[in-house]
Amino acid sequence: MKKYILNSFIAVTLLFAASCKPEIDTPAGTSAGTANFSKYIAVGNSLTSGFADGGLYLEGQMVAYPNLMAEKMASVGGGSFTSPFFTEAQANGSGYASLTALVNGTPTIGKVTNNLAFRDAAGHLTKYTTEVQNLGVPGMRVDLAFAGQFSALNPYFERLLPDAQVGNTTYFQFVQGRNHTFFSLWLGNNDALGNALNGGVTVLTDPTTVLTDKASFALLYSNLINSLTANGQKGVVGTIPDVTAVPYFNTVTVSALLGAAKAINPAATAVYIQTGTGAVRAATNEDLIRLPFQNEGLFGVPTGGIPYGLHPLNPITNNWVLDKDEVAKIKDYVNSYNSTIKSLATSKGLAIADTYAYFNQVKTGVMIQGVGINSAFITGGAFSLDGIHLTPRGNAVIANVFIDAINATYASTVPNIDITQYRGVKFPN
Amino acid sequence: MKKILLSVLLSTPFWVFGQGFQVNLQGQKQIGMAGAGSALALDEASVFFNPGAVTFLEKNSISAGVNPLLFKSAFRQTGSNITEDVKNKIAPPFEFYAVWGPKSQKWKLGLGVYTPFGGLVDWGDNWSGKYTLTSLNLKAIYFQPTLSIKITDRIGIGAGFVYNHGDVNLQRALPVNFPDGRSGKATLDGTGTGYGWNAGIYINTLSNITFAVVHKSKVVTKLNGGSAEFEVPNSLQSSFPAGNTFNAELPLPATTTLGIGIPLSSSTKLAFDASWVQWHVYKELAFDYATNTSALADTKSARNYRDGSSFKLGINHQASDKLALRAGVGYAFSPVQDGYVTPEAPDADRYILSAGVGYAPTSHFEVNASFFFEDVKSRKQKNIETGLDGTFKTLVYAPGLSLTYKW
Repeated sequence: MKKYILNSFIAVTLLFAASCKPEIDTPAGTSAGTANFSKYIAVGNSLTSGFADGGLYLEGQMVAYPNLMAEKMASVGGGSFTSPFFTEAQANGSGYASLTALVNGTPTIGKVTNNLAFRDAAGHLTKYTTEVQNLGVPGMRVDLAFAGQFSALNPYFERLLPDAQVGNTTYFQFVQGRNHTFFSLWLGNNDALGNALNGGVTVLTDPTTVLTDKASFALLYSNLINSLTANGQKGVVGTIPDVTAVPYFNTVTVSALLGAAKAINPAATAVYIQTGTGAVRAATNEDLIRLPFQNEGLFGVPTGGIPYGLHPLNPITNNWVLDKDEVAKIKDYVNSYNSTIKSLATSKGLAIADTYAYFNQVKTGVMIQGVGINSAFITGGAFSLDGIHLTPRGNAVIANVFIDAINATYASTVPNIDITQYRGVKFPN
Repeated sequence: MKKILLSVLLSTPFWVFGQGFQVNLQGQKQIGMAGAGSALALDEASVFFNPGAVTFLEKNSISAGVNPLLFKSAFRQTGSNITEDVKNKIAPPFEFYAVWGPKSQKWKLGLGVYTPFGGLVDWGDNWSGKYTLTSLNLKAIYFQPTLSIKITDRIGIGAGFVYNHGDVNLQRALPVNFPDGRSGKATLDGTGTGYGWNAGIYINTLSNITFAVVHKSKVVTKLNGGSAEFEVPNSLQSSFPAGNTFNAELPLPATTTLGIGIPLSSSTKLAFDASWVQWHVYKELAFDYATNTSALADTKSARNYRDGSSFKLGINHQASDKLALRAGVGYAFSPVQDGYVTPEAPDADRYILSAGVGYAPTSHFEVNASFFFEDVKSRKQKNIETGLDGTFKTLVYAPGLSLTYKW
C-alpha cells in the first residue's frame, strides 16, 4: 500500500513536471509602434530581389531580406507580401553559379542551366506583371531609375512590365501608386559598384558602368524619398556598403598572385598592372583585382614571350584592376552617397539601416549565434558565389540590421530572424 | 592563388560545465531537506555529506536510490518572439551507500557510489543555438571508499578516496552546408577518469547542537582518446579526417561545507549547510585534437568561473516511529559570470525547494521519497565567445526514491 502511494507520488510529480514549462516573456512581436506595416513595399536592386550566386532564382528570391522581414512584420500587423517568384518549373530563373568541387581548397564553380525562365533566345525572362511588393530589380541604380529606356535593356525590369510599358516606364514611376504604408529603400550600390565592377573603367556606351555624379545622386535620391513618403508613409533606408568590403575585390589579392607566380618562377618580383590613368606600375596590396580574374586563365600566359601581369610590357589591363586611386575615388563617392542618404532620411524621420557600417564589421568578422561570419569568399558564409550578393544566411543577417533600425526608430517590436535557419554556401558532397 | 583557407569554420569550441552540472541529489533524506545535512548523522549518505559523521550511525546499513531528473530549460533569442524548449529527457542520478562497522568499535567503513556532476540537455538539431550545442550527455560517477573514526564520544573524523568515472557526449551543428542545405555536425564522445578525496569532521556539542566541516577535493578528470566525429560534405572531408580523437581535461571543483544541526525537540531537527564551491579552477576549456587541419585547430576557450556558493536549510520531523517528514529551502549563487553562460548549463542563481517523506515498516527496512525543485533565475546573456544572445530560464524537477536495509 505504501509503495503504491509512493509510486503514485512519483508518477504524479513527473507528470506535473513535464507539463510545467519555464516561460520567457519578451516584448518581441507585440507592437508596430508608430509604424504601420499593413502594406510594405521593398524598393531596391539585386540585393532586394534576392539575387545570389550571379543569378536570380527562386531559392534566393524566397529568402531575400525584404521577404524575411515581411514574415516577421506579420506578427505586428504586417499584411501579405508578394514577390515576382519564378515558378517551380522555372525555379532556376536566370541560372546561377554553384560550387561543383573543392579540391585542396581550390574551388571549381559551375553553372546551373536547367529549369531556366527564359522566354526567348534574346534572354528575356518569363513575364510577371501582376502586383508585387518586392520591387527589387537586379542592376537598378538611382540614376537609371529615372531612365525609361532602361526598362527595355534590363531583363529583370522588363519581366515585371506589360509590353506597352517596356522602354517607357521608369523605375521611379514603377514603384509609385502602390498604396503602401511602409517601405524599404536600399538603392545606390550600383551607382558606385557598376563602375568598380568594370575595374573603374567607364564605358560610354554602357550606362551601367558610369559613376553617378554626386549632385545628381542627391537630387534623384530625394525625388525617390519624396515620392515614397508622399502620404506620410514611414520606412527604412539602407546605406551603401564600402565596395572593398565584398569578396569580389578581396579574394584575388596581389600578394596571392605574386605567390602563385613565385611558386612557378622564383625570379618573379612583382605583379604589373595598368592603372586608370594608363600608367603601368608594380601592383601593391592596395590595388584590388576582380574576382573573375582567377578563372580567366590570363595570368602568367605569355604573349610574344612576355608573361601576362608579370612584366611592365604586358600588365594586367585596367578593367581587371581597381587601382589604389580608383579605390579612393569610389570610396569618396560612396561616402558622399551615404551622407546624402542619411541626411535625407533624417530629415524625413526615416529609419536608417547602416549597412555600410555593418559590412565593415563583417569584413573583420562577427559571431552571431555561434556562427562566425566574415567577408571571406565561400567560407565567410555571408556572400554567395558571385562575391557580391548575399547567401540566405547573409540575407537573414542584413534583414536583422534593417529590423533593428526599424524598431529603434518607430518603437516597434518586429521580431528578429533566427539566422541559424539559413544556409551559407553549399559545399559539394 | 586559388587556395581558400578553411580556417575559422570551427572557431567556436565546445563548452562544458557550470553550476548546472552540479547535481545536488546524493541522499534521499538530505534531498528532502534541500541538500542540507552535513551536521546530521542521519544515515549512510553521510559517506558523501560528511565522512566524519559516519561513525556515529547506530546501525550498519545499505541503501540505493534514484532521482529521475527533468531539466527543463527554455531559450528565447534576443529580439525573437519564439521560445525554444529542451526536449523532455530524464537523467538518472543515483546513489548507493553501504556502511559497516563492529558495534562496539569506534570505527566504521563506508562505500559510496554517487553522481555529483552530470547533465542531460537536448535542444534538438535545429534550434537557434545549434551551432553552439545541440545536446550534451554528461555523467560523472564517483566511487568513494571511506573510513570514519570516533576520536571522542562527541567528535568523529572521516575520509574517503574518490575515483571518478566520467562519460561525456557533446553534439553540435557545424555552419557548413550540404548541397541539400542541411548543416554539418560534430560529435565528441569520451570517457575519462579522475581522483580526489572527501574528508569531514563531526562535532556534537554538549547542548547536542552539531557542527560539521567537510571538504571535497577537486577532481581533475582527464579524457584521453575520445572520438571526434565530423559529418561534413565530402568536399570538406579532408579538413575533418575520419577517426580523429581528442584529449581534454575537465576540472570538477572542490567544495567546502560548514554545517550546523540543531535539535528543536526530541523528534525535530534543523540542518543548515553553507557550501563554498571552488569553481575558480575552471579557467579554460581546451580540446586537443590528435589531427589538426587548417579548419580544425585545437581550441582553448576562456571560462573564468568564479567560486559559487549555496545555502541550504532543512528540517526533519519524526512524526512517529515509522514516519518522518522533511522539507527544505535553499539558494545557490552561480559561478558563471556574465558573458560565459552557455546552453548546456544555462546557469544563474537559483532557489531550491524540497520535501520528503520516510517510512520504516520494520526496524530493518526503510523507504524514503523526496521531491526536489530548483528555480533557476531567468538570465539574459550574450556569450562573449559565440555571440549566442538570448534569455535562458530553467526549472529542475527531481522526484526520488530510495530503499534502505539496516541491521
